[in-house]
Amino acid sequence: MDGNEVKVSISISSLSKVFTKEKKEVVALRDFALEVKEGEFVCLLGPSGCGKTTVLRIVAGLEDKTSGSVKLQGKEINSAGPDRGMVFQEFALFPWRTVRKNIEFGLDVKKVPESERTAISTKYIELVGLKGFEDSHPKELSGGMKQRVGIARALANEPKVLLMDEPFGALDAQTRNLMQKELLRIWSATKKTILFVTHSVDEAVFLADRIVVMTARPGKVREIIPVNLPRPRDRTSREFIEVRGKVLAELDEEFEKARAKELSPD
Amino acid sequence: MNSIVKSLHRLILSNWRRVALGLASMALFLTIWSLYAAWLRADWPFHGTPSGAWEYIPYPWEVLEAFYLSIWSHPVSGLYMGEHVYASLKRIITGFILAFALAVPAGLLMGRLWGAEAVGKPLVELFRPIPPLAWIPIFLLIFGVIWGPIAIVFLGVFFPILLNIQFGARSVDPTLIDAARTLGARRLDIFTKVVLPFTIPYLMTGVTVGLGIGWMCIVAAEMLGAVGGGVGYFIFTTAGNSQYPYMYAGMLMIGILSILTTGIAGLFERRVSKWMGMR
Repeated sequence: MDGNEVKVSISISSLSKVFTKEKKEVVALRDFALEVKEGEFVCLLGPSGCGKTTVLRIVAGLEDKTSGSVKLQGKEINSAGPDRGMVFQEFALFPWRTVRKNIEFGLDVKKVPESERTAISTKYIELVGLKGFEDSHPKELSGGMKQRVGIARALANEPKVLLMDEPFGALDAQTRNLMQKELLRIWSATKKTILFVTHSVDEAVFLADRIVVMTARPGKVREIIPVNLPRPRDRTSREFIEVRGKVLAELDEEFEKARAKELSPD
Repeated sequence: MNSIVKSLHRLILSNWRRVALGLASMALFLTIWSLYAAWLRADWPFHGTPSGAWEYIPYPWEVLEAFYLSIWSHPVSGLYMGEHVYASLKRIITGFILAFALAVPAGLLMGRLWGAEAVGKPLVELFRPIPPLAWIPIFLLIFGVIWGPIAIVFLGVFFPILLNIQFGARSVDPTLIDAARTLGARRLDIFTKVVLPFTIPYLMTGVTVGLGIGWMCIVAAEMLGAVGGGVGYFIFTTAGNSQYPYMYAGMLMIGILSILTTGIAGLFERRVSKWMGMR
């Protein structure tokens, strides 16, 4: 990319979301705004219940917004579609489909001819490192392997952006670190725009170009922290720890606010 | 390697125990039965005067003999046991197919659409607790001797399949549907590619349970008349003729047939689940 001509991929402005729960209105998001550039890796970080997953689900089109605007490459988003791939914390693999058939799901829906389908799934099986497991069923795979399938399945549809909802939250620490490295490798190979939800500061600093720290409910952007560290990042380096401290300080205040709100009677 | 051999060994051993205990319980049952029959007749090891009820309880070997004889001769309405079995099987299968064809779409709709559930639930709740046997008189009047028994089987099979598939359709993991939607699936794709495969194991359970209940109904259904015989018909006719060993032989046949059909359905169920990677 040359110079200043960086295109905007996802553009969110004055986004609000109000849930109605047992006749009580809960404001999950208020005036949330964010721009994600083409090819950028952005992490959404915030205390639990701050609405970070809601933002992601609205961008995915799985949830309706109450007001505001969400655009993908300038076009308003109103429903779910294959131009936005999603990776779920619970993997959400189809248990009756093999690894290959899971990855081909979106191509099946699009009625892509079989030879082309096989070529595409083979490409992504190799990209995510699942060669030799094509015919396994999800229950035969470890958590890390399952999420590789989840990522390959989302990528096989050639989406414009990849939305990831705490994708490594269900994995053990070692697998989690490995998968973070794997994701960065896949990201640099595919040049996808990634919007990544996490509650781990460490994960966000390791992965992101920019970290969006959200406020406690109602969620909005508190601070956007750029991470200008070269990759691969060293978790033990002084710079890494510095950024980590900065993010933690922001987050701690929000945690305190959220806790105070929980303790105070309505 | 050693541990594989060990676990294999343990598996065989535990199955041997199962087989041995199964045989033992069977032997105990036959012994008690034989002793009771002997006591009624004042045979060895008992003595005295025989009870008047002795002819109702034949010896097990008399039942086995009757079972054998009914296969090769025709004690009831000139039909071999094979023909009675065929007649009953035909009713079960016809009733089953009709119930399946109706229960599957109804269960899917009720499991996925709240409107269909709201419409169907009161009817299901009202009719399900009525035993199929209670319908016999009116069904024979309405549907006649040919379709009456089939209608009884239909009722017995219908509800287990309906309720199982409804439950299956309702328990589809919502994140699977979310995943399908982000992969470009629309309503019809979600139905055929997510809901339907998800419910298949539930459907199979419904089929297995339904078949068992179908056999329970068939005897009663054939009670009031069965064109071309039937195992239930066989039982009632032999009982009426005081051919008690034959009556028991017919009952034994029902048990065997029920074990066979539900066994095959169960095997099929496990095969499908395994093939689908669900178990």
